[in-house]
Amino acid sequence: MSPSYTAVAARKTLHRPDAPPAPEPAKTQKVSWTPGVRGYVQRAFDADSATIGVGPVEMQRRLKAVITQAAEAGQLQTIDWTTYPLPQNLIKAEREALALSSAQNARIANLNASTSYLSSGANIPERSVKRKNEDLETTDAEEDAITPPWKKHNTNKGSMEDRMTGKSKKQDKKQKKNEAFRATGLGTNAAVLEKRKQRFGYVSPEPSPHPSSRNDSPERTGSLVGTCQTVEKSYFRLNAPPAPETVRPLPVLEKALNHIRSKWKNEHNYNYACDQLKSMRQDLTVQHIQNELTVKVYESHARIALEMKDLGEYNQCQTQLRALYKLSIPGRSEEFTAYRILYTVYTCNRTDMNDLLADLTLGDKQKPAVQHALRVRSALASGNYHKFFRLYLDAPFMGAYLLDMVVERERIAAMASICKAYKPDVTLRFIAQELAFFGDVDVPDPDAGLRQCLEFLCQHGGEPFVERKEDGEIRFHTGKAIAVFEAQRAAAFRSVDIKGQI
Amino acid sequence: MEALWDDFATAQNTCNGYLLATTISPEAPATDPARLYNYNRGTNAYSLQTDLRYKLQYNPSLHLEKKEAAAWHEIFTAFYTFTGKLLAAEESQTANRPREADWSTVYESWKEVLSAVYRGYSGNAFEAWTIPCLYVVGKYLRIFAIKADEQAAASQRDSGLAFGELQEEDAFGAASKNEKLEDAARQINRIFALCLGDRSPLEDSRKWALYYTANLLFKTYFRLNSIPLSKNILRSLRASASDTPELSTFPRAHQVTFKYYSGVIAFLEEDYASAEELLTFAYESCERRATRNLELILMYLIPTKMLTAHRLPTRQLLQTSPTLDRLFSPLCTAIKRADLRAFNAALEAGEDEFVKRRIYLTLERGRDILLRNLFRKVFIAGEVEDAKADGGGAGAAARRTRIPVREIAAALRMAGATEIDDGEGGVDTDEVECLVANAIYKNHMKGYIARDRGFVVLSKTGAFPGTGV
Repeated sequence: MSPSYTAVAARKTLHRPDAPPAPEPAKTQKVSWTPGVRGYVQRAFDADSATIGVGPVEMQRRLKAVITQAAEAGQLQTIDWTTYPLPQNLIKAEREALALSSAQNARIANLNASTSYLSSGANIPERSVKRKNEDLETTDAEEDAITPPWKKHNTNKGSMEDRMTGKSKKQDKKQKKNEAFRATGLGTNAAVLEKRKQRFGYVSPEPSPHPSSRNDSPERTGSLVGTCQTVEKSYFRLNAPPAPETVRPLPVLEKALNHIRSKWKNEHNYNYACDQLKSMRQDLTVQHIQNELTVKVYESHARIALEMKDLGEYNQCQTQLRALYKLSIPGRSEEFTAYRILYTVYTCNRTDMNDLLADLTLGDKQKPAVQHALRVRSALASGNYHKFFRLYLDAPFMGAYLLDMVVERERIAAMASICKAYKPDVTLRFIAQELAFFGDVDVPDPDAGLRQCLEFLCQHGGEPFVERKEDGEIRFHTGKAIAVFEAQRAAAFRSVDIKGQI
Repeated sequence: MEALWDDFATAQNTCNGYLLATTISPEAPATDPARLYNYNRGTNAYSLQTDLRYKLQYNPSLHLEKKEAAAWHEIFTAFYTFTGKLLAAEESQTANRPREADWSTVYESWKEVLSAVYRGYSGNAFEAWTIPCLYVVGKYLRIFAIKADEQAAASQRDSGLAFGELQEEDAFGAASKNEKLEDAARQINRIFALCLGDRSPLEDSRKWALYYTANLLFKTYFRLNSIPLSKNILRSLRASASDTPELSTFPRAHQVTFKYYSGVIAFLEEDYASAEELLTFAYESCERRATRNLELILMYLIPTKMLTAHRLPTRQLLQTSPTLDRLFSPLCTAIKRADLRAFNAALEAGEDEFVKRRIYLTLERGRDILLRNLFRKVFIAGEVEDAKADGGGAGAAARRTRIPVREIAAALRMAGATEIDDGEGGVDTDEVECLVANAIYKNHMKGYIARDRGFVVLSKTGAFPGTGV
């Protein structure tokens, strides 16, 4: 008969029965370290592989994490430790991945901080010109402040992230700020972009158990590439991520530029051309394209703006071009450096002029157009109106358009000098010659210059001093006209108006 | 470590601000060169708090209030971390491993010290006599920022392609180059605002640190090449001028530095009158032995005076400093001798340096003076007319006042004025007339041009104002 209880063996000793084996962490197991692992650890600690920005403490933590994970996954033997990336490099790569993906969001936040110091076109916070530059920055930044579509699906990088305790908040912010500075407005160099793509295009040698940021990298480095094929496209300010179907890729943009150029030549429709060019600039910025085409687009826009005296737009293009030339992208830098000098002469901005002169290289100063612009500057600085007007008639490229804006006030200034110095009177012909009213040699009417000169004098209150002599010659009584022209001169130089972009 | 605490106690008991400041200075005093090292090694992170508490609160030779003691506690804790970082960086530096010297962490940890000091002041824990501490934190913040930026720039250059590392982009302009310095500027600005906003009575006020902090800010902004920010400082100082004590009551060193920077700012704004006043004051009050400072002041004072008073520096003055001599002597000699060729050559030779200091454009105006001297020479070289019966009365022989434009042209030619050539070997007389017209317009000469007759008629008396002719 079996008892109605279950027999349990009585304890005979104090020894506890074996507890079910607890899941020991891999650390406490006696793991055999292969020479490969040992070599890896050695390399990580080696002074030569020390990376700036990753301290030894972080590196050690990461090393422990890497090895722990490998051991847990039972891959200590299978991983090729000789080519496995060192912990410090893993940390750096992940930091940068993190920074780049959040850089676009951080850009707006950091923009205000950066634009006060970013020297694009000699930025100085309080100048009125800054408004234009800020507008430019804002426009581009708005276009870029978008979160690219792929970023929304950027899954959590997994446990590696969590274990990345080494990265302090400060370094994170510093990285973000660096990225933001670097990436503001102009994105990355196309050539570097290509290299990056190549680097991450191939399968990385590490095995898959490490959910690594590198898997995300093709998406990260591959900026938006458009698919739109239409050559003409109007400009709309972006306030959302642009869909690739609305963005034109590089080859289409090249066609578009030629198309716009020929249309401009034939029709001279400024509003249309401006609109089209702005949208092209937008497409280029959104796709981070910075190459010769970008330079050509900005140059074309600048020239067109100059012709139509749109100084606001011109200044925007000029600023961008300066930054692009600094990246060593080939373009007509001689021409545009000369324009920049003339522009600064026009705005009478002494600080800018100082900065500009400091920036000029020896090579720049050899170029004829730049030399011409510098001579204009020095002539005006010393008040040598005679030389200035000769130079005005002789301006290379489209410099004459810029000088046109200066000519009016310089003529008044010259008149003030002439009135004070010459007594009792001078011939109208002399004034017309000095003040470059005889510009066009092939004008059929030889007296056109004289008439224009007369008009100019009368416009500025000089009529009472004109005298028609019996022999047909017209004389101007300089002695009596001093006060009038002196007042005009003061008024002309009092305020220089920079037309800003609305 | 004891020497540090002894100094601290002495300073506290005798209200010696400067001595107090040396206790938290990154540079160990000459009497105790191993101070920082001892401080760092004399305690460790575990026992730091208790050590400090013992030294600050339970120290029989010190009598600190609780709030004050707490504030110093914080400061010295931060100072401990800082010394660790600094020593590590210095060691790497001296061990010929400069790349490893991590100045940016040194900067960050010093910033912590600054924040602790700032909190002490904003919490009103410290009395006014301790403000030299503010001087110390501000001054070294700037120095460390510059070091950190230099290192960042150097590391960007050297950074190779470790596995997976992104290639650094070229720094865009000065923005990332001066990151730490910009940050330092913001920090010092906080201190400035703190000093400015102090409402305590004058004897106990932090306002005495105002000008020193302002000077620090000027130095920083100048280095960052952002003059408008400096103007902000000037504006704030002017706005609170009714509350702050007169500049003349501040230490002379503060005054001289302040006037120097204000002078340079005025100069850059083309306000030459104020610039002259400020720079002259700075020059005259400056300590005679501070030759480098004198040189800097003169660098801007000379072009200013050239413009306002048409005065050139004397040879003795220029010879006080080799740099000044090199830069300015050829120019001055050329102007005095009315030698255009030499003037152009001298200007070009020093162009880079002038442009860098932003005095090139001003020195160009020296050409006007040169031309005036030239015209004057022509005038003096002219024949002396016999005294007219109705003219000088007592028979004062006067020089002819009618000078043919031709002669002036010839003189210009001789002096090397290439601009008057008309390209065909002759002289463009219109150009010559223009130059004369300018001189007349600018009141360097008194007279007029009679174009039809080809003469320049000068005034009988005082044709060249300011030169006694």
